[in-house]
Parts: sequence; structure tokens; C-alpha cells
Amino acid sequence: MTVIGAAGRDIGGRSEKSAAKSAEKSLRDLVAETRVLTWRLLVRQARTPMALVHGVVLPSSFLVTLKVVFGDSITTITGQDALHRSVPLAVLISAISGSSTGMVGVGAERLSGFIARLWVLPIHRAAGLLARLAAEVIRLLMTTAVVLGVGVALGFRFERGIGFALLWVTVPVISGVAFAALVTAAALLAPTVIMVEATQPVIVLGGMFCTGFVPLDMYPEWVQPLVQYQPMSLAADAMRGLSLGGPVWPPMMGCLLWCAAIIALCLWPITAGYRRAARGGR
Amino acid sequence: MTSLTSTRTPPSTARQWWVLTVRLIAPTLRNGEVAVGVAVTVAVTVSLYVPLNRLMDGPDLGVSGYAQFLAPLIVLQAISFASISTAFRAATDSVSGINRRFQSLPIAVLTPMAARITAGVYRCVLGLAVALICGYAIGFRFHRGFLYATAFCLLALLTGLVLALLGDTLGTRSKDPAATAQWLLLPQLIFGFLSVGIQPLQRFPEWIQPLVRHQPISRIVDALRAFAGDAGDGLAPVTWSVVTPALAWLVGIAAVTVPWALVVYRRRA
Repeated sequence: MTVIGAAGRDIGGRSEKSAAKSAEKSLRDLVAETRVLTWRLLVRQARTPMALVHGVVLPSSFLVTLKVVFGDSITTITGQDALHRSVPLAVLISAISGSSTGMVGVGAERLSGFIARLWVLPIHRAAGLLARLAAEVIRLLMTTAVVLGVGVALGFRFERGIGFALLWVTVPVISGVAFAALVTAAALLAPTVIMVEATQPVIVLGGMFCTGFVPLDMYPEWVQPLVQYQPMSLAADAMRGLSLGGPVWPPMMGCLLWCAAIIALCLWPITAGYRRAARGGR
Repeated sequence: MTSLTSTRTPPSTARQWWVLTVRLIAPTLRNGEVAVGVAVTVAVTVSLYVPLNRLMDGPDLGVSGYAQFLAPLIVLQAISFASISTAFRAATDSVSGINRRFQSLPIAVLTPMAARITAGVYRCVLGLAVALICGYAIGFRFHRGFLYATAFCLLALLTGLVLALLGDTLGTRSKDPAATAQWLLLPQLIFGFLSVGIQPLQRFPEWIQPLVRHQPISRIVDALRAFAGDAGDGLAPVTWSVVTPALAWLVGIAAVTVPWALVVYRRRA
């Protein structure tokens, strides 16, 4: 081993070492490498049918169920089509539960040593994480489009034009990225499998104590502030405002603040956890 | 060498079963499985009762309050969650290769499965207890005496047994713990929502009513509701016409699952 290492140093000298070093920092390489790694993640996702079922089929069936079971009563009570509530809720749930699938992936890569292997290659340090982010955004756009399509088939329409419709789509994408940051941090820091199960009650509570499920005044008074200002409600309210009309910016700002805060809080645990995983630490 | 190994009599099947059962039950207290199970049941109770109480309460419920109406569904949700944990455990065993090792040991073929099912029933008992405590907290009560309360619990546990068997077979077959864990959330809610556990039959759109009425969850909820009784007298008494469909569904599911399970377990891992 020592002989080979010494020979390598003799032949390559400083230039090889500095070339490797610059590859770890070069911006152009970063783009190319991120693209390769993103593609890898997307292909892997496409080859896991369960991820598809989870991200698309289940939320769509949930949407149909909401329409069948609660649609009429909620439309009667509020005087607005209940789909303006349930489509955002289904899209948000699809975003969130898809992220939990991603968490399993991060945990598996950490345990199998893939992250550590990336680390010893002369690629940009940020490529691994950026690829995860890019793959997540693409996945979110696709699942949102599919669930939205089901909603349109059920009778959901954008009443405020194409500009607001595009803004509508960004809400679940941003919220999904924030939730993905949260679960990635959890997956990197707390290695147990039980974490996947542990996110389930959080998702159930978040989805049911949400103005996308039932109008705010149906909740008991003491819980209303909690319901109104939790991130999923703010996202659902903003999306309802964008599709149907009504206040948009107050809930939108609240939702963005929540997402920014979550991402900012998770940034350090993610980079630190990633680094630790890269060194083979468990 | 031969004399050394043959001096020890092999342990009985019952003992092997017990050792394997303890292997599954003991870690649940340490690794947070029990804690998550309790948390999920509490979360399901709160997140169904609090948002829906005002929306659903009305004279056409058939019972005195929404808590009394909802409790059977909460019990079933807790139990199906337990069965998914069983599936998860089975898939983990399958993928880690321990089933293969069991097959190479002098253990009866079905002993590991029996142990996992026992652990599944243990999870169901736990889930049932937590669900009943949650039900009591929101206002659910047994009104028909001790005997019918026992029948309520037995029917719930029988459901749990059938679901544990189904979950265990699915888990063993799929060999992917992550994939089985994904089945935790939405399917449960979807089937729960499309049952009479959540709202009375006449509030569903007409075209879906036959499906809602006859699906297994609805039938089991009907039977559980009859066993629990009600403060008022709007509820029909316990008759075979209420209980038989529930039992028939359970027997039917078991009749399909057991032969399939035998095929799956006898296959070389």
C-alpha cells in the first residue's frame, strides 16, 4: 500500500492533488455532477413502484374519499366547493408522505456506505445534497401535477387564471422541501427504523387538524388558534385563496415563514449529519 | 463429540415458541414500538373526534353522541395499526435472513410464524387497551354489561388475529420493511372513511352506499356498536343478524389467508 501511494505521489505530484482539490470546489463540475446524481435518484424512484403508489395513488384515492364522504356536507356548510379545500390537502399529504419515503432512502444510503463512497470521490462537496434537493423538487412537481389532475377530473377549477395557478403549484413544492429537510435531518441524526413509523402520527395530526380537512369554525374554540397557524393550514388557506379567491398573502407569508424557519433550523443538522455519515460514523 | 451434543434433549416446540415470542416482545419496550403504538392511537382518536364532532353530530346518528358512534372505528384503527407493525416485523425478519436460519434449525416450520402472530396479538391487546382508554376519555361507555363488553373485546381481538396473520404473510412475502411501513397511514384512513364507522349510511352518496354497507370494516363496526350499546334506546339489540356478517367476513379472510400463508412459509427462504 505504501509503495503504491508513494509511487502515485511521485508521478502525479502536486498537480494531481490540486486537480482533485479544484474538482471538489469547481462550480461547473458541481452542475454536471448534481445532474448525474439527481438522475440517479429519479431513476431509483421510478424503479420503486411502492414510492409511486405512496406518492400518487394513495393521495389521489384519499382525495376521492374526501370528496365522497365529506364533500357534500362541507360544501353545504361553507357555500364553497369543498374541492378547494380537499385538493390542497391531498397535494400536501402527497408531498409529505413522499418525503418520508425519501427518508428511508437517505437512511439506507448512510448504512450501506454510499454516502461515504461519494465522499472519497473527487466530486463537489455539495453535489450529494443538492442532487437530493433537485430530485425532491422534480418529484414534488410530478406528484402535485398528478393529484391536481385527479382534482380537475372531480370538478376542481382555478378561478383566478394561470398566474395564480402557477403560484398554487409552488406552495406544495416549497412545503414539501421544508418537510423533506426535516425528515432528512431526522434520518441522518436518529438512525432507527422506528423514525418512519414515528412520523405517521405527526402526518395524521397535521392533516386532520388542518383547514383543508374541515372549516376552521368546526373545531372547538380552544384548538382553533393551533389549527389556524399550523403550517399545513396556512398552506391550504393560501392555496384556497389562489384557486378560489379570498385572502392569499397573510397565509402565504405565514407558510413561507414556517418553511424558511424549518429549513434554516435543519440546515446545520443535515450538513453535520451528512459529514458524519460520509466518514462512516453511525 | 456425538455424545456431547446428544446429551441435551432438544427443547419442546412450546418452549421454542415461547423463546421466539419473547424475542419479539421484549425489544418493543426498548425500541419505542410501544410508545409509537400508543402515540398513533391517541393521534387517531384526537384527529377523528375533534375535527368531526361538530360536523357529524346530529339526530340521525342513531346513538346518543359522536363519541359513542366513533369508538368502534378507533378500536379498529388501533388494531390495524398493530397488524401493520406485525407485517413490518415479518418483513424485517425475512430480509435479515433469520427465517432462513430458522429453517436450518430443528424447529417446526410454523413455530416462528406462530411466535410472530402471538406477538401480533400482544400488540392488539395493547392497542385495544389504549383505544378503549381514549374512547372513555372522549365519552364512550359500555352500556350492556360485562358480558357484552367482553364480547366487544373478543371480536376486536379476533379481528386483530386475522389481520396479524394477513400482515405477517404479506410482510414475509414482500421482504421490504420500508414498503410495508408505507401502508401505515392512508389506506387505513381511506377504508375507515368509507365505512359506517365515520358517519351513518344515509349520509353517503347513494351510488356508493351498497359498497359502504357491506365492506368488512362497516360490518365489524356494526357488531361492535351493538355490543357496546347506547345510553338511549335508538340502537337495535344484539342479534345474530348483526354479528354474523362480521364473523363471516373474518372467517372468509382467514380462509383465504391461511392456505396462502402455508404456501409462503413452506417455501425455502
